[in-house]
Amino acid sequence: MNPTPDTAASAGNGGNGGNFDPRQAAALLDQTTQQARRKLAPSPPWLLAARAVAVLAALGAIWLSVRGQHPYRGPTGTDIPILIAFIILNFAATVGVREHAMAGVRGATRFRPAEIIILVLAFAATVVFMAAAGVGFARYPTTVLIVPGLAYAAIMAARAGWRGCAGGLAVAAVGVVGAFAGPAGSWAVAAVGLCAVLLGKAAAIAWRQRRSVGQP
Amino acid sequence: MTTDELDPLIHVPTRLKIVATLAALPDGDTLSFTRLQDMIGLTPGNLIIHLRKLEEADYISSEKARNGTVSITTVALTGHGRKALGAYTQALRDLLGGL
Repeated sequence: MNPTPDTAASAGNGGNGGNFDPRQAAALLDQTTQQARRKLAPSPPWLLAARAVAVLAALGAIWLSVRGQHPYRGPTGTDIPILIAFIILNFAATVGVREHAMAGVRGATRFRPAEIIILVLAFAATVVFMAAAGVGFARYPTTVLIVPGLAYAAIMAARAGWRGCAGGLAVAAVGVVGAFAGPAGSWAVAAVGLCAVLLGKAAAIAWRQRRSVGQP
Repeated sequence: MTTDELDPLIHVPTRLKIVATLAALPDGDTLSFTRLQDMIGLTPGNLIIHLRKLEEADYISSEKARNGTVSITTVALTGHGRKALGAYTQALRDLLGGL
């Protein structure tokens, strides 16, 4: 970070900029804004990109293991623990980074307890409904994405967070497309679809963080 | 256009950093004093002086909340402050475009 002149001195003299050059001011404004956007980002692009690669590797590996099955039997006994471990690790990394970025921040950016409950219930209700209806997770893996994706989109729409809303709808769309891709194909749809959603979100956030304040 | 037309309250390096940092938060969100201090890299006394000036102009609002024995001060950019930063940014753009 560049050292900045003034502090108490200019505060005491009424705060005029003195010799503060407009070019310096523009550079400082850009630099500070981009730094603040990076530090306060609850989902940094690097984390989203890492998650995209991990989801492609984890779900892609399952697809590779099931695509030759005739008849389809689903993921092997070793695939499921790896998938569960991946989900837990992914969740822990996301929450950890988010909490670090949001330290000291209060307000609408943070999820309210009611919103967290809605998201958890949406996921749990889908799993319970699938079990009750006799629809195996291993046969239709992407269906678990539909209701939570829509719930997330609804929450973000209620907050007027349209990028988040689009992300939720994209996740739900991956779920719907996967449901029509057949048991083995749905793993490939989940791998590629979720990877694309995460990479798209990472690119959008990175673009926003790097965008100059001076641009109209 | 001259530098005199730049808002003198914002056209000070430290205050520009404060306002730009708070503007990175979504409207309605607040930032704790300690996190802001950590992000800007100022001493508490120095930060307080600049925050007071910005608050007097209604560019920022601050709130003190008590959490048990700990007192937490949060600050946020007001709508007026956001508009002032927008006008300052536009003035800078006009000025640099003309140089």
